[in-house]
Amino acid sequence: MLINFPYIKRDTPIHRLDPRAKFLLLLGWGLAAAQTSNFWFMLVGFTGAAWYYSLARLKWSETRRVWYFIIFLNFMLIFVNYFLSGGAIVQGVDMTHPHMLFTLPFIGLKHTAPFIGPASLPFSVESITFMITQGQRNFSIAFLAVVIPYTTDPGLMGITFKGMGLPDKFSYAIDLSFRFLPTVARDFGVTLDAQRARGFEIDKLRGGIFGKIARLAPMVVPVVIGSVVGAEDIISAMELRCFGVGKRTWLTELHPRRIDRVIITLCIAGFLLVTALNIAGNFYASGPLHVLHIQGIPSFLFA
Amino acid sequence: MAVTEKQTSPSAAKVWGIGVRQIVYMALGAALYGGLSYLTNILQLPATSNVSFRPGIVIPLFFGAVFGPWVGLFTGGVGNLIGDYISGYGVYWNWDVGNALIGFIAGLVVYITLGRYFARRNIIMAEVFTIIAVIVGIGFAAYTDIWVSKYTIAAATGNFVPAALSDLVNGLILLPILLVAYNAAVRRSGRG
Repeated sequence: MLINFPYIKRDTPIHRLDPRAKFLLLLGWGLAAAQTSNFWFMLVGFTGAAWYYSLARLKWSETRRVWYFIIFLNFMLIFVNYFLSGGAIVQGVDMTHPHMLFTLPFIGLKHTAPFIGPASLPFSVESITFMITQGQRNFSIAFLAVVIPYTTDPGLMGITFKGMGLPDKFSYAIDLSFRFLPTVARDFGVTLDAQRARGFEIDKLRGGIFGKIARLAPMVVPVVIGSVVGAEDIISAMELRCFGVGKRTWLTELHPRRIDRVIITLCIAGFLLVTALNIAGNFYASGPLHVLHIQGIPSFLFA
Repeated sequence: MAVTEKQTSPSAAKVWGIGVRQIVYMALGAALYGGLSYLTNILQLPATSNVSFRPGIVIPLFFGAVFGPWVGLFTGGVGNLIGDYISGYGVYWNWDVGNALIGFIAGLVVYITLGRYFARRNIIMAEVFTIIAVIVGIGFAAYTDIWVSKYTIAAATGNFVPAALSDLVNGLILLPILLVAYNAAVRRSGRG
């Protein structure tokens, strides 16, 4: 059994980007998008993230399994939750005077027995706008997140986190984790085959839920304990080579180009600007400084 | 014949120190957690009542309980990141932090047990810390989605309950088995 990294070696603008820029872009946008439900702000971010994703030139056949999962998850979170909560999922928006469009007959919770019964599900301009904004937010974050494993060499993960300020020890541990993965996968496959030869059938576990979990032990325990015991040799080898004594150097070095520095600077500056606007919006009830606290729905839609 | 362990007070260096041993176990734990999460997703085990099998959660719990809170934190956080990374899902920071918290809190039991689980009492303490760790860790991950993704409390709770239940069931059943097996391996190697 093999673990295949999703990394696809290609020459695209995103592949050439410094991995630190990709991580900071994801982190910066994710934290900025969490601070507002303004439709236009989210539309700009969604458009930008989609364009960024297109630059990676990833094919649908390479990523469709991931996108099926993301689309399903977002459908459940946005639409199914709206139905299950009776339309009460809009956040950060003044819902005291919603502009109703239509209602759908549905079921809802009641205060009296049998505590569930017919209820109408309202759809307003505000709630539909909010659902669209939610979709834009989630998919824009997905565009930035999915690109990273497909366009970043896993061998650069350790030096990437070192470059983002993580101490040498933790960065080296991240590097070592990726190196352990093929060994762990091989051990898992060997153990599974060995247990199958002894009559263990992982897809036909008997018993209830607790029995099924307990019967997973013949799979999990040998792999974990075998790996822990085998790690003693690695520890001894590292200690013999004086690991941890003195400052560490790295075989691979990351050299950011101008475009990488520009992206990193824009990410940090953009996040700080959004945060400052978000804070300022609490002190100004209207005007440009309040923009992140409103949905930005054009008034002609209320006519 | 009753067998009791001689307990000595834990020193801060023993619990919080990061040497070569801790680094290797961090890396190993993260690789095991990430790899096992990815591989058990593929296996698609049958389940009842919509509870999915996540046996990999025992990895950060075990590594934290035996090797300390820093190893548990790294195993949970980086392991979850690796699992999502190799699945191609990307990076979702609040769920990585939540899993890191699971391993970290589970690792705090080392103050009481010193990483030794020959006595039943110590195994029970590890189970208690497991319950706290899973509730806090998954709670953090699920409820920060209220801020990150603008979910309602009901939607976040809808994420929290099945995830926490699944992790609790898997962790509480598999952790004692793993600790007993580790005891046997340590005794056989003469390090116990």
